[in-house]
Amino acid sequence: MLTTLTLADLAARTGLDVLGHLEREVTIPVTNGIQAQGDLLVIPIALLATEASDGWAPPGVSIADSARWHPVPAAGIEVLRAGTGGNPHTLVADPGTCRWTTGVNDPETLALGALTTTGTAYLIHPEHGGSGIAPGTYVIRRQRERSGTTPRTGSFPHATNPVQYEYIVD
Amino acid sequence: MSAARGPGEHPDDTFQYATSRSVRLPRDASPVEKIRLAVTLRNEWLAVGLSTEPADRPAAEAAVGRLYELAGARPPAFEWAVSPLAALRAVQAARSRYPAIRSPRRLVSRRTGQWPLAARLAVLESGLRSRLDARIRRAAVAWPTMPGDGTGTVSIYDPEDAVLSGISDRSVVVVTAGQSLRGTLTGAVVAPLRAALGQAIGRDASEDQPGPAGGVIAFRGQQDAAWVGYYDIRRRAGFGGYASADLCELDAWAALARSAGWWWPGEGLCVMAERPAAVHTEPLAGSHHGELRLHHADGPAISFADGFGANVVHGTPVPGWVLSGPTVDLIRAEPNIEVRRSAIERLGWDAYLRDAGMTLVASCPDPGNPGAELRLYDDLPGKGWGALGRVLVVTNGTPEPGGHRRRYGINVPRDLDNPVAAAAWTYGLTGELYATLQRRT
Repeated sequence: MLTTLTLADLAARTGLDVLGHLEREVTIPVTNGIQAQGDLLVIPIALLATEASDGWAPPGVSIADSARWHPVPAAGIEVLRAGTGGNPHTLVADPGTCRWTTGVNDPETLALGALTTTGTAYLIHPEHGGSGIAPGTYVIRRQRERSGTTPRTGSFPHATNPVQYEYIVD
Repeated sequence: MSAARGPGEHPDDTFQYATSRSVRLPRDASPVEKIRLAVTLRNEWLAVGLSTEPADRPAAEAAVGRLYELAGARPPAFEWAVSPLAALRAVQAARSRYPAIRSPRRLVSRRTGQWPLAARLAVLESGLRSRLDARIRRAAVAWPTMPGDGTGTVSIYDPEDAVLSGISDRSVVVVTAGQSLRGTLTGAVVAPLRAALGQAIGRDASEDQPGPAGGVIAFRGQQDAAWVGYYDIRRRAGFGGYASADLCELDAWAALARSAGWWWPGEGLCVMAERPAAVHTEPLAGSHHGELRLHHADGPAISFADGFGANVVHGTPVPGWVLSGPTVDLIRAEPNIEVRRSAIERLGWDAYLRDAGMTLVASCPDPGNPGAELRLYDDLPGKGWGALGRVLVVTNGTPEPGGHRRRYGINVPRDLDNPVAAAAWTYGLTGELYATLQRRT
């Protein structure tokens, strides 16, 4: 099982590389909560299903009926890679334990996809190191920022959001 | 950080221009040997695309002459220019030789033989590429780009490791040769150069593209190594052959890519540009496939003998003031987020926040990022882009190679008063949920 690994173990195990200055021998923490890796956020899907409970509830995040699940191969799945100058975030897990789909309904349109894993899965990035993901189902979202041209007029945090924004790539 | 002035002087020894044209692949070459050769050839083609050598004018003119003949025309007269800008001015001065090329719909209404020569050459190129792609598709997937489609994970591995870990060499060559060359030459070099050219002639970059208003077509010469090189590498590294007529055509494009810069084919006249005098690049951090991007902190990252060039910082095209003297006022007036960020990083975030007189709205500990703070700032009302919202200054969860943690600003909507709610907004969450963040790396 891929469990309680160090970054060095993970790098050796997967063949993926991380930059030399990262602490390689420290155990990678594994959590079933929200965690961030640079411009990505891993969120347990249950937390997004019914996020707002006060009065009018926005539509939650869900897996699409038509979603196609792909087994995460030993080589991993590249979840996001910036166009120019960016490094990939890669999802890795023991073969047969983790599946990935991009079929996610996200009213905020920030979801890259969802993973469901029965063992520990890891998100790994050459500059950010590793993030351990406990068994469960999670949505991976990317980060945005307001673009500089249009003033915001809508109300936060409900789904129909007129703020113009751009995705952040680090 | 690295600067390339000609392929032979690149500090990275993978850039030595080895003349491997004589390299023969053994008949029983293993997938690893094929990929190793593909990487060598890719580095050669990359050096071609970034070459700062003077043009080989006889070779370039001979190659253009062959392409004209393939397009059904006689070889043209030539006019040489020191830069793409000088070349485009020469084209504008000879507009009678360059019938305006309008939208494709207008083109198809006439017979091919009556098309402007540049359009016929474009069709020649796309026809060749489709035939080569068709030949490749028969053997393997051609250009898959979706994650999980076979090549999605190749880019995170060293090319030989990818093969050893069981990924097909045919997938690896697509990434390590095709996508690498295209990303560097087309994405990271041609695109900023086109933008700079558009600015220099006072309009957007569409002047060198056919469009509703008419235009001329520029061919990229050395940077066409992005596609020429890919097809050439596949053939020479043992990934399959092409029809001999197609190979002859490809050779003409290859000879041209090896010998000159951009070129503008017209009726009986072809304006040719010299290659740049200097090109400064840096490797993409973490790339295993030799990708580069333009970068130079002290002047144009790519420049020609007449001074035309493009300022590019870590791959981001920037106006000259970002290099020569970024100021708070200039940053405020700049609408492009990436340009602003490049300029602020040159000033330093602390200096920018102080000099811009931005006022701290609130600060608090950053959830999941021990020791770091989220700091939410308001800009002076009514001034520049900051008036449209607020800036959340955050600290990376992971240290940089030097040990320090990079800070940067993220633009957030104006009505967010709480730094945690502002950070939460960037991921589409409520502040309550974001406050439970366990760990940031």
